[in-house]
Amino acid sequence: MENTVSRRSMEQMAAKRDRSGSVWLIQAFTGLLLAIILGAHMIAHHFIVEGGLRDYQQVLDYVNNPVIFVTEITFVIFATVHALLGIRAIIIDMRPSPGALRVANWALGALGTVAIIYGVYLAVALQRLAG
Amino acid sequence: MSDIQSTTDPARPKSSLRAWFDVRGRSVTTLAFALNRLTGVGLTVYLFLHLAVLSQLLRGPEGWDSFIRIARSPLFLTLDVILLFGVVYHMFNGIRVALVGMGVANKQQKGLFYGLTGIALILFIVGAILIYTK
Repeated sequence: MENTVSRRSMEQMAAKRDRSGSVWLIQAFTGLLLAIILGAHMIAHHFIVEGGLRDYQQVLDYVNNPVIFVTEITFVIFATVHALLGIRAIIIDMRPSPGALRVANWALGALGTVAIIYGVYLAVALQRLAG
Repeated sequence: MSDIQSTTDPARPKSSLRAWFDVRGRSVTTLAFALNRLTGVGLTVYLFLHLAVLSQLLRGPEGWDSFIRIARSPLFLTLDVILLFGVVYHMFNGIRVALVGMGVANKQQKGLFYGLTGIALILFIVGAILIYTK
């Protein structure tokens, strides 16, 4: 065969590349949990609310529920980790130099840390406003 | 990577990133994987935009409720529908990618793709109707 022929599918190759560091497993695990939490998040925020979005007081009442508060923080953490690991997998597919990959790892780590801290801060601030 | 043959076709991109968008001779599952990553990038951008928009809540009811009025405009609802497509597609195709990556259902992945995409399509249509009618 003269043309490029991959005997494996791209997802199998991607899985193989990342599996050594267990990064792929984290990606799959957070993805599975996100499917559940994001589904609940979309339904709760967009589909059962009259008008499609909660107004200010409705958001405060919602976040004031301890179960929702913990769920939303879990959602921010898992979504950020899953998203940035996905971006990292794409960067790895671009075959960066080891130095460039190190920079990308630091940048993604910093972005993820800031996003998670900000998300937790936001949830805590809203719960205080509600209380 | 020993089972991957290199290209001799000068027209075929050698970069694996560009290869996602080279549809010639690709199987439906490979294209599905490329679209999965494309929707993933879109959803990542949306995640950070969403966090930024939520900061309006800290400005009190005026800030948030004025945003809500804008978010109920037809343009925003259409963006919501596009977002919903990205979410359900990435969610259901992601399940297939995870299963295949774990070595589960390798031989059935085409059927898995059509089955899961079918569920995603139904949820997308129901969700899109709810977005426009709620």
